[in-house]
Amino acid sequence: MTVDIDKTTGDTPPAGPEAIKAIPVRHYGRYISAVVAIALLAGVVYAFSQGKINWDAIPDYFFDDRILDGVGKTLLLTVLSMVIGIVGGVLLAVMRLSKNPVTSSIAWFYIWFFRGTPVLVQLIVWFNLGLVFEYINLGPFYKDEWSDFMTPFLTALLGLGLNEAAYMAEICRAGLLSVDEGQTEASHALGMSHTKTLRRIVIPQAMRVIVPPTGNEVINMLKTTSLVSVVQYPELLRAAQDIGQTSGAPAEMLFLAAAWYLLLTSVFSIGQYYLERYYARGSSRSLPATPFQKIKANLLSLSNRSASTGGTA
Amino acid sequence: MTAMVKAEGVHKSFGPVEVLKGIDLEVKSGEVFCLIGPSGSGKSTFLRCINHLEKINAGRLYVDGELVGYRQKGDKLYELKDSEVARKRRDIGMVFQRFNLFPHMTAVENVMEAPVQVKGVSKGQARQRALELLDRVGLADKAGSYPSQLSGGQQQRVAIARALAMDPKLMLFDEPTSALDPELVGDVLDVMRDLAESGMTMIVVTHEMGFAREVGDSLVFMDGGVVVESGHPREVLTNPQHERTKSFLSKVL
Repeated sequence: MTVDIDKTTGDTPPAGPEAIKAIPVRHYGRYISAVVAIALLAGVVYAFSQGKINWDAIPDYFFDDRILDGVGKTLLLTVLSMVIGIVGGVLLAVMRLSKNPVTSSIAWFYIWFFRGTPVLVQLIVWFNLGLVFEYINLGPFYKDEWSDFMTPFLTALLGLGLNEAAYMAEICRAGLLSVDEGQTEASHALGMSHTKTLRRIVIPQAMRVIVPPTGNEVINMLKTTSLVSVVQYPELLRAAQDIGQTSGAPAEMLFLAAAWYLLLTSVFSIGQYYLERYYARGSSRSLPATPFQKIKANLLSLSNRSASTGGTA
Repeated sequence: MTAMVKAEGVHKSFGPVEVLKGIDLEVKSGEVFCLIGPSGSGKSTFLRCINHLEKINAGRLYVDGELVGYRQKGDKLYELKDSEVARKRRDIGMVFQRFNLFPHMTAVENVMEAPVQVKGVSKGQARQRALELLDRVGLADKAGSYPSQLSGGQQQRVAIARALAMDPKLMLFDEPTSALDPELVGDVLDVMRDLAESGMTMIVVTHEMGFAREVGDSLVFMDGGVVVESGHPREVLTNPQHERTKSFLSKVL
């Protein structure tokens, strides 16, 4: 850097004001806190290095068939529960905002109930409904014994999906309400119907408010699927625990499961970033750069800097 | 000349507040009709009643000879269905004080939207017509810009083009220049002047007395939900008869 500074002052045209060269303030507090933080981190790393952890077991089982099957089931459950959650959420949001007092109170009651009880309790209730119902009877469409109908998969899907719908309803409602009333008026004044106004004008703008929290919900759902291990559904956590019991490395298998969850949530976060960027168009004057564009810009500015030597230091 | 808009004893209340207390007026086809008055006088509300964005509580309001928002059979009034109200609004263009452009669409997409979605015009045709209209308001080079990239004056001109794309027989302007920086007002007024010269029937709620005097064919001064004074703009503005008109004009001129 000193070389840079010398160059800059050397190249500055004599007419311009002299560049400021001041002694920077020393932030001693920052040095101390950095040292403390590093020491704590080192302590944690040391503790783990002293534990009897069979690290080799993790790569050995990372791509084990049972684990991969569990990952697949976790993803399937996440996607399907979110589909139920989003479709149900949109429906409930529209019901709540409708002028019909019956539909809006039913939606209110649904949201009140499903948000007010823990999702683990809901899962266990779905699982144990077989104790009170012997048969499922949907009139002429479907009739079966309850235990055949309510498989662990369906229990998990209903438990997670119906709970999610209540949260998505509130997110969608907030999104729809965030769009300025003038937009609806302008659209109506042009002769567009309620449905067209909602579909073409309001929802695309509401998406900007709806997408970020929905991305969070997806990531949250991915992690919440681990609760489903209590209703005997063999998703990632359950698969890892099963292997842990037979292979004699239970803690290592939990680390493995954690690593998989971290990997999946990281991939989802990247997807969320690009989705948000898409719906931000028109709301700001220029779209934020993608990470790739940022890297490119930084590289370019670096090469410019070394070429021109101007503006550094 | 026939009446494009006819109001007979129009009343409008918001809860306990009576905003319009019996408005009688007539707007002839092809004329530029200016509504002036202090804020809260009900002029914007009256404008919004004309395309049924607000429902009137009493009286009758006709556009092009047809009742607004209702159908009369014998001595009974039937409320129109939403789809019928929408159909009637196609023929009435409206320009808002705060533009209300669709922010997620470019200028040309804003102008194309209603013809494509409401009239079923093909996208190619709608785009071509939209570009012509943008050219007419002097914004041919901004077709691909989003509203947030345009100045207020440019946004308002896009909004005018958007309303014109439906080929309306009547244009409503709700204080179209009130939200603009002073140096941008002229561009929008120029577009409106051109439109007036082309023979469009226009109802303009405005504080631009110069525009009213120069372009207007009729002028109404409203205060407290009633029409206080009406006549030719030059006469009313230079020689007001009522005390309230005089005191209002002395403050704004």
